[in-house]
Amino acid sequence: MSFSQQPILEMRKAAKAFGGVQALAGADLTLYPGEIHALLGENGAGKSTLLKALAGVHKIDSGSIVLNGKNFEQGSTRLARDQGIAVIYQEPSLFPDLTLAENVFVGRQLSKAGFVDWKAMEEEAQKLFAQLGVQLSAGRRARGLSIADQQIVEIAKALSINAQVIIMDEPTAALSSKEVERLFSVARNLKEQNCSVVFVSHRLDEVFALCQRVTVMRDGATVGTDLISNIDENKIIKMMVGREVSELFPKQPAELGDVVLKVENLGQAGQFTGINFEVRKGEIVGLAGLVGSGRSEIVRAIFGIDKYDTGSVFLNGKSLARGSASKAMDAGIAFVPEDRRQQGLLMPYSISTNTAITVLKKLSRAFLIRAKKEKEVAITWGQTLQLKYTSVEDAVEKLSGGNQQKVVLGKWFATNPELLIVDEPTRGIDVGTKSEVHKLLSQKVQQGLAVIMVSSELPEVLGMSDRIIVMREGRQTAILNREDATPEKVIALATGAVSAK
Amino acid sequence: MANFSLPKIQLSWDKGVVLFLVLAIFIGSFSSEYFATASNLSFVIASIAEIAIIATAMTYLIIAGEIDLSVASMMSLSSASIGFAFREGLPFEIAILIGLAVGLAAGLFNGILVTFFGLPSLAVTIATLALYRGLCWVLLENKPVNQLPEFWISLGFRNIPNTFLPWSTIPLVILAAAAWVVLHHTKTGRWVFAIGINPEAAKFSGVPVNRVKLGLFAYSGLMSGVAGVIYTLRFASASPDGGVGYELSVIAAVLFGGVAIAGGVGTMWGVLAAVVSLGVMRSGLQLVGFSANALLIVSGGLLLISVILPKVTEFVRIRNSRASTPKIKQKNEEKKYE
Amino acid sequence: MKKLSKLIRSRELPVFFALALVYFGTGFANPQFFTVTVVNDIFLGVAIVAVLAVAQTFVLVMRHIDLSVGSVIGFTAFMIGDLSSQGYPLIVVLSAALLIGAAVGAVNGYLVAYLRLPSLVVTLATMYVVRGIFNEVAKGQTIVESDVPEELNWLGLNRFFGVPYLFIIGIILMLVAGFVMYRVRAARDLYAIGSNAAAAELVGIPVNRRVFFAFLATGAISGLAGAVMLARFNSASTNSGLGLELVVIAACVVGGVTIAGGAGTVYGAVIGAILLQEILLAIGALGIPQFWQLAVNGILIIAAIGLDRYLSTRVKSTSIMGNK
Repeated sequence: MSFSQQPILEMRKAAKAFGGVQALAGADLTLYPGEIHALLGENGAGKSTLLKALAGVHKIDSGSIVLNGKNFEQGSTRLARDQGIAVIYQEPSLFPDLTLAENVFVGRQLSKAGFVDWKAMEEEAQKLFAQLGVQLSAGRRARGLSIADQQIVEIAKALSINAQVIIMDEPTAALSSKEVERLFSVARNLKEQNCSVVFVSHRLDEVFALCQRVTVMRDGATVGTDLISNIDENKIIKMMVGREVSELFPKQPAELGDVVLKVENLGQAGQFTGINFEVRKGEIVGLAGLVGSGRSEIVRAIFGIDKYDTGSVFLNGKSLARGSASKAMDAGIAFVPEDRRQQGLLMPYSISTNTAITVLKKLSRAFLIRAKKEKEVAITWGQTLQLKYTSVEDAVEKLSGGNQQKVVLGKWFATNPELLIVDEPTRGIDVGTKSEVHKLLSQKVQQGLAVIMVSSELPEVLGMSDRIIVMREGRQTAILNREDATPEKVIALATGAVSAK
Repeated sequence: MANFSLPKIQLSWDKGVVLFLVLAIFIGSFSSEYFATASNLSFVIASIAEIAIIATAMTYLIIAGEIDLSVASMMSLSSASIGFAFREGLPFEIAILIGLAVGLAAGLFNGILVTFFGLPSLAVTIATLALYRGLCWVLLENKPVNQLPEFWISLGFRNIPNTFLPWSTIPLVILAAAAWVVLHHTKTGRWVFAIGINPEAAKFSGVPVNRVKLGLFAYSGLMSGVAGVIYTLRFASASPDGGVGYELSVIAAVLFGGVAIAGGVGTMWGVLAAVVSLGVMRSGLQLVGFSANALLIVSGGLLLISVILPKVTEFVRIRNSRASTPKIKQKNEEKKYE
Repeated sequence: MKKLSKLIRSRELPVFFALALVYFGTGFANPQFFTVTVVNDIFLGVAIVAVLAVAQTFVLVMRHIDLSVGSVIGFTAFMIGDLSSQGYPLIVVLSAALLIGAAVGAVNGYLVAYLRLPSLVVTLATMYVVRGIFNEVAKGQTIVESDVPEELNWLGLNRFFGVPYLFIIGIILMLVAGFVMYRVRAARDLYAIGSNAAAAELVGIPVNRRVFFAFLATGAISGLAGAVMLARFNSASTNSGLGLELVVIAACVVGGVTIAGGAGTVYGAVIGAILLQEILLAIGALGIPQFWQLAVNGILIIAAIGLDRYLSTRVKSTSIMGNK
C-alpha cells in the first residue's frame, strides 16, 4: 500500500489537561486508509487520553482533529460513532441478555414493515462474522462470551455502521495466543476493506507482526512516527523511555533484615503460576510487567482479597491463611490497591473516617470508638505525609489525586505493618507528590518496613526497587538486581521480545 | 456529637426530621384537647413500639445497601410461633423464647440466601415475605390463639407504675439506645457504613463484608421477633395475619428519617425521630377525625418527599458546580440490592 | 431444528415443565383433578393476575418494579362500578379507568425516569397514596352486583367454547404484548436498558423516554384491568387488590422474568401466573390444607431466583492463560 493518498485522520498538537495534570501536550497522529497503525507509549504517556478524545469522551483543549477533510465534532460518543470512529475497548460492554445479532444492531434494529426483522438481523450479523473470518453464532446470547469474542462482536458492530477508523485499545491484554492470531486476521481483513485500524499495545512482538506504521508517545506528546519497516525494537524502546532514569527517585540504601514474606509456588487458575520470591526487611521488591501480566492478581491473592489455588504464603515464618484480608491485616500486611477511588477510599466520607477505618479496634476502648483518637490519627498522618487539606472532616473526594493517595497511605501506615504492598503507588499523581511518596517509602523501608511495589512506570520501578521481578502472562520471567536492571532489559522481558540481552 | 463526619446535606436532613417531630407535637397539641394527655401519649408510644424496634435493624440493613421486606412476616411468624407453642402446652415464658428464636432463624435464613448463595436481597425478601407469612397460616390455620396468660397480657396494656409509659417502652429504649451507640460509635457501625458506601473498598480495607451482612439480616430477624412478642401482648392474641403491611411503614420511617436508599448515609436519631413523628401524626390526625386513610396518603407522600428532596438538591448542586470534569456517573441505585 | 434447540433453552421451558409436572402429578394422586372444571377454575382464577403480570413484565425487564398495581386495579374496579351505577355509559367508564391507571403510571414514570429515583421506593409510595385516595373517594362504600355494567357481568360469567371470556382477554393481551415486545423496535430497547443501562445510554437509546412510557403502559393496563376484576368478582371494595402486587411479581419471577432485568417474556409471566393458580387448586386436590398456599408460593420464588442465579453464573469467560 502506498501513503500517497489523503490521510483519513489528522490530529495536530492536541493538548488536554485534567485538573493539574497535563495528559496531552502536543500529540500528533496521522492515519491513512487501509493501514494498521500502532500507538505505543508507557502508562501515563497519553495514549488513553488521545483515544478518548477520538472516541468522543473528551474534548481537547487545543489543537485540531480533522477527519475525512472535515473538522471532527468532539465531545459525544454518539457523534464520534456517527462520524465513523469506533473504539473496541479492552473490556467491551455488551448486553449480556441480548443475542449477538441484537448486540450488533442495538438501537438500530433492522426492520421490515416497521417491525423488527429478526431473520435479516441474524443473517446480516452472521455475514459480518463470516466477513471477519470468525465462527460465531449470531443467534446466541452474549452472556458468557469470552472477551475475545466480545471484541469481535464490537468490531462487527463497527463494520455495520461503516466505521472508517477502528481503534483497538490494548485488545490483546486478556487474549490467549490463538485468540490473538484470530484478532490479527480480523484486523488484516479490516485493512483489506480500507479501514484504518489503530492498534494500541505494549507487546512489541505483536506490533511488528501486525502493523505498518507506528507512533510513539511520551509524556503526553508524540515523539516519533515511522514505518515499521524503517524501525527496530531498540529505537522504539528508546523513544518510549527517553530519559535517564537513575536521578529521579532516590531510594536510600537500607540495611537488609530477616525475610518477612516468603511466597512458594503460588498459582491461581487462569491468572498466574509458579510464583516464588522473598521479601526482606528494608527491601523494596518491584513487580514489573505489562497490563494483564498478573501482577495485581498476585498481590491481591497474597493479601487475601482473592483466593489462590496452589502454593503457600509465609509471613515471618508462619503460614498465612489464604482468602482472608482481615487475617492478612492481623498478621501485619498492609495493601494499597490499584484503584484508589473504587478500592482504596470511601470517597464521600471524611479524611479522618478513611484514615481510621483500618485501625478502629486500636482506637476503641470497651467497643466504643474514641472520637478524639480518630481525629488524632488523621491529623498525625496528615502531618507526616504533608497532606494538604482544610479540616480532617473534609470529604476525601474533594482532595486532589495526590492527596487522596496520601490518605490511603496514611490509613495503611497507621496499622504499623511489617509488609506493605502498594499497587501503582503514584498513578495519576503530580510530580511533586510523587517524589514525596517515594521519599516516604524510602524512609519507612530504612526503618525496617518490607515493601512489594507493583508499578507500570519504568522509572519508578527502576529507581525504587532493590530487586525487580518481571512478570509476563502470569509467569515470572526473571528477578533482576538493582544494578543489573535497565529499562531495555525490563521491557524486553515484559514483552517477550527476542532480543532479551 | 458527630465524630463520624456526615455530608452536609445529611446533617440538615436530620435536623429537618427532628424539627418535623417538634412541629407535629406542637400542632398536635392544638388540634385536640386529648392530644397531650397521658393516655394518648401512652397510646402513641405503644403503637409505634414494634415499628421502631424493627426500624432500628432496617436502618442498619439499608445503610449497608441491602433491604428486608420480610420483617412484618417474621414478626407475625414469631407471634404465631408463640401462640402455637403455648397452645401446645408449653409455658408462656418458653413460648416467648421460641418466638425470639424463630425470628432469629428466619433472619439467618434470609442472610444465608443473600451472602452464601449470592441472591439479591430485594427478591429474596419478597419471597420470604410470602414464605414466612405462609408459615403463619400453616401454624395457626385460621384459629388465632386468644387465651394468653393474664400476667403477660397485662404487660401488654398496662403502663409502668406511676408513669404514662407502656411496658414496651423498656425494650424499646434499650434496643434503640444500643442500636444508636453501635451504629455511630463502634467499629461494627463504621463497617456497616463502609459496606454501604463502597463494598469493594470495604473489602479492600479488611472488612468482612459477608459476615457483617449475615449478622445484619439475623439482627433484623431477631428484632422482628422482639416486635412479635410485643405485638402479641399488645393485641393479647397470636394470629396469622398480624402486622400485614408493617414493612412498608418501617421502610417509610427509615427513609423519611434520612437514610439514603442507596446506602452509606443515615443516622439512628433521624430514624427514631421519624418513627415517633409518624406516630404522633397518626394520633393527631385521628383525634381530629381524619381516617387512618389520610395517614396512608401522608405516609406515601412523605416517602416520596424523602427520596425526591435529596435528588433535587443533588441536581441543584451539580448544576451550580458547573463541572468541567466529565459528567458524574449516576450510581445505578437499583443495583444496590443485586 | 434450530427453533427446537432455542425452545429447549428458553427461560419459559422450566415453568412450562413445572406446570405440566404439577398437573399430571396432582392428577395422578387424585384423578378428580383431571376434570374440565378444574381447568376452567384455573383459567378463570388466573385472569386478573395474568393481565397484571403481562403489564409488570414491561418494567421488570428494565430492571425496575411497579408495586402500585394492586392499588390501581382496586381503585379502577371500584370506579367502574361507581360511575356505571351513576349512569355513565361503558365506554366513558372504561376510559376513566384507563386514564386513572395512566395517570398513576405517568407519575411513577416521571419520578423513575427523569428524577432517577429508585422504582422500588417510588412505587411503594404511590401504592400507599393511591390506596389512600381510593379510600377517601370510596368512603367505605362497596360496589355490588347491581352496580356492575351488564357487559362486564356477562363477560365474567360466560365462556367461549368452554373457555372463560376473561381468560381469553388475558390471552389476547398476552399475544399482543408478546408481539410488541418481540417485534417493535422501541420495545426491544427495554431489554437493552435492563441488560446494561450504562451501555444503553452510550449507544444512544433514549432511556428516559422508554422508561417513562413503560411505566405509563403498565399503569394504563392495570387501570383497564379493573374491568376484569369487576367482571370476575361482581363486586369491589376498598380491600380490592390488596396485596395483589406481590402475587403478580411472584408470577413473573417464577415465569422467568428476572428481577435483574434484561430477560423474560410475557408468555413466561402468564405461564407463571397459571402455575401459581394451578398450585392453589392442586393443594386442595392433594388434601394439603389450603393454608400452605402462601408458603409454597414463597418457596417457588426462592427456587426461581436461585435457578436464575445459577444459570447466569454458570458461564465464565476465558482468561489470560486460557488456550495456550
